[in-house]
Amino acid sequence: MNRASVLPILLAGFALASGVTLAQTVTDTNLLKPDPRNWLMYSGSYNSQNHSLLKQITPQNAHLLQAAWTHHMSGMKDLEAVPLVVDGVMYISQFNRMDAIDARTGNIIWQYQRPPLSTAWQKGTAVYGNKIYITTSDSHLVALDTRNGHPLWDIKSDGDNILAGGAPLVVRGKVIVTGNRPNGFIQAYDAETGKYLWTWYAVPKPGEPGAESWGKQVPQGGPVWASGAFDPEQNLLIWGTGEPRPTWTGTERPGDNLYSDCIVAIDVETGKLKWYFQNTPHDTHDWDSLEMPVLIDAVYQGKPRKLVVQANRNGFYYVLDRTTGQFLHGAPFVHKVNWATGLDAKGRPIVVPGHDPSALGTTTCPSSMGATNWPSPSYDPDTKYFYLNVAEGCAVNVTSAGGGGGYNESPKEGEGWEAHVRALDALTGKIMWDYRAVRSNHYGPGLVSTAGGMVFAGEQFGQFTALDAKTGKPLWHYNTGDLITASPIVYSVGGKEYVAISSSTNIFAFALPDAPEEGSKR
Amino acid sequence: MNRTLLVALLVCVSVPAFAQRGGSGPANPFAGNQAAIQEGDATFAANCTQCHGARGEGGELGPALASGSREDGRNNDAQIFNTIKNGVAGTAMPSWNGKLSDDQIWKIAAYIRVLRGTAIDNPLPGDVAHGEQVFWGKGQCGNCHMVNGKGGLDGPDLSNIASIRKVNSIEDALTKPEHRIFGPGGAHLTALPPMDGYPPVVIATTSGQSYNGVLMNEDSFSLQLLGSDQRLHTFDRSEVRSITHKAKSLMPTDYDKRLSTDEFKDLMAYLTHLGTPRATGRAAAARQPAGD
Repeated sequence: MNRASVLPILLAGFALASGVTLAQTVTDTNLLKPDPRNWLMYSGSYNSQNHSLLKQITPQNAHLLQAAWTHHMSGMKDLEAVPLVVDGVMYISQFNRMDAIDARTGNIIWQYQRPPLSTAWQKGTAVYGNKIYITTSDSHLVALDTRNGHPLWDIKSDGDNILAGGAPLVVRGKVIVTGNRPNGFIQAYDAETGKYLWTWYAVPKPGEPGAESWGKQVPQGGPVWASGAFDPEQNLLIWGTGEPRPTWTGTERPGDNLYSDCIVAIDVETGKLKWYFQNTPHDTHDWDSLEMPVLIDAVYQGKPRKLVVQANRNGFYYVLDRTTGQFLHGAPFVHKVNWATGLDAKGRPIVVPGHDPSALGTTTCPSSMGATNWPSPSYDPDTKYFYLNVAEGCAVNVTSAGGGGGYNESPKEGEGWEAHVRALDALTGKIMWDYRAVRSNHYGPGLVSTAGGMVFAGEQFGQFTALDAKTGKPLWHYNTGDLITASPIVYSVGGKEYVAISSSTNIFAFALPDAPEEGSKR
Repeated sequence: MNRTLLVALLVCVSVPAFAQRGGSGPANPFAGNQAAIQEGDATFAANCTQCHGARGEGGELGPALASGSREDGRNNDAQIFNTIKNGVAGTAMPSWNGKLSDDQIWKIAAYIRVLRGTAIDNPLPGDVAHGEQVFWGKGQCGNCHMVNGKGGLDGPDLSNIASIRKVNSIEDALTKPEHRIFGPGGAHLTALPPMDGYPPVVIATTSGQSYNGVLMNEDSFSLQLLGSDQRLHTFDRSEVRSITHKAKSLMPTDYDKRLSTDEFKDLMAYLTHLGTPRATGRAAAARQPAGD
């Protein structure tokens, strides 16, 4: 705390003119059932559906959307952060940094900058009570007062574990944070005091269960740099883990390399593993499972089931039972998958030999960038569609001495990278519609859907686009002028619905005009 | 890793590029010494290319030492020296200790540094003046490309090509239909780049007009065209009836066949001289404009 410096930019007129009450305390009840006017956590809700119940903006009036404000987050670059909104105040984070913004006007309320300025990628923040949490580039967790940015406590992460850029998640009075180094982990701290509670490691220590799946190599990797979901009924965190190390060569680590590339269920009170499902056993393509697991309650094959679904970086869409981790269904969601012919009855890939990276290069589809990646997908309970960003194409994977390697876009015709937004039937993975983001060729950014029948999708090359959730038809777009690498959010202040997205160093908010044209439906 | 870049290096330890100036280990006594670099080239050709490829592009047994961009060379010369001298345990890379002298190894390191630079750092030998004649004459390069304000508009300006492309990247562009100019990996751009593929297209509008040209940019909603009438045209996609891609590129890729061996060699010599050598240290600092 002594190193922290606060640059409070307390603007005159802290309260908004029309009397919006600011900075209400966020309780467990609020987090379990968020007011749709707020965006209280990274994915909007514990089920990670990234779906807003607001319905003011619709396919009928979306063409009227206009920019409401822009906030420049000075000193940053290519923001990946998802802002939160609490009762009219937006909070956007970076490592060491938080800006609090009037969510209706874009005016800055306060700014916290703990030295040094960092531009490393960081994906968001979490809020509880009157505290908002940031992670720092020297692996501290800091709680700031939501009203003025004053640091309330500042603790170093436990042990030699270094925090990564995933957004923290507050669950049952605990701040859940994650990291990659020295190996992947998920950690819990008391949200009130910062007291350390537990750590779950994504790879076992020698002799522990799972270590036998690594041959003679000491288990390494499983980085966890993205946020996850929470199932309140089972008290389970449902999270993805990263790839085994070394990333590109598997000869020294024969076996499945548990718990790399898994969806895991962790008891939030104890930090113990309840179940796991491994998407990519013995991965050599950097196909981590850090894509958001989305929790859905649905009738599946005639029976109500608690499901978790995930579109994985390896090209397959998975439907699991989230009480046991049992595999129920899987299907490719990209057109080109050449490393596996499908999934067996237990969800294990039926691998096509010869796709390991090599010195000369091995062409594999999807690419190691991933058929999709960490930016948020969404699930709309009305359409029952799972929306996501997709990267079609293939990569040439190479190895280098010492376990190094990497990938590049395949130069072959028809194997180049293309970005799409896609709607899948959430229970079968069938492609229901497709929208091509022309020129964009990367996996991101993420998207958000709304009860108004909208999907808002950033395009990598700067367009922020509103799509009809039923058809994928583009209804409106705005050129933000720079790369978009974040996921959008939806919130409401003073009766007006806003959608916000980070692009490069700026946050843009859009809304319908105050006086809509005659005849438009609002 | 969520954003692994292609860094196919001799060893996987990477250090920032600036480390070669005062980074760990001793400085290369032959850095920038052209005669020594040529000796390094010869020693490399005799001992290293079987595994690492003729220009360090990688081969059957060894990884690439230099990929397509200026971003790779992240090992300093001392690290390259140590890797060659001591080998890499557990790989096919042997120790050359006793087989090559320390001077020879430093010269190879100096040559690898050149491989990792762009063309201007090690321009190819040949008759540059004759290459320029081929460029404007038999090669017809100037019909589409500009150099120093002279030439056509339908392809990239080449005035500084040797500063931004490697020798093998230039050669591939002249000879290989399926080549890609590799950037520093696939994953993470930090700025929005212009589209520089110059694909030839015909755009037909809903009002019945047709425009030939090269596409300067496009997104999901609009297109920007440099027409064959040498004017810029912009289109909203709602005004466009069809877009016909005539070819991936107008660029011929058979220059090694349509030119004689000498003509091709001299054209390469000319192209690999088109640029400004990289400034380092004080020279680079001096080149920055003064603020006020």
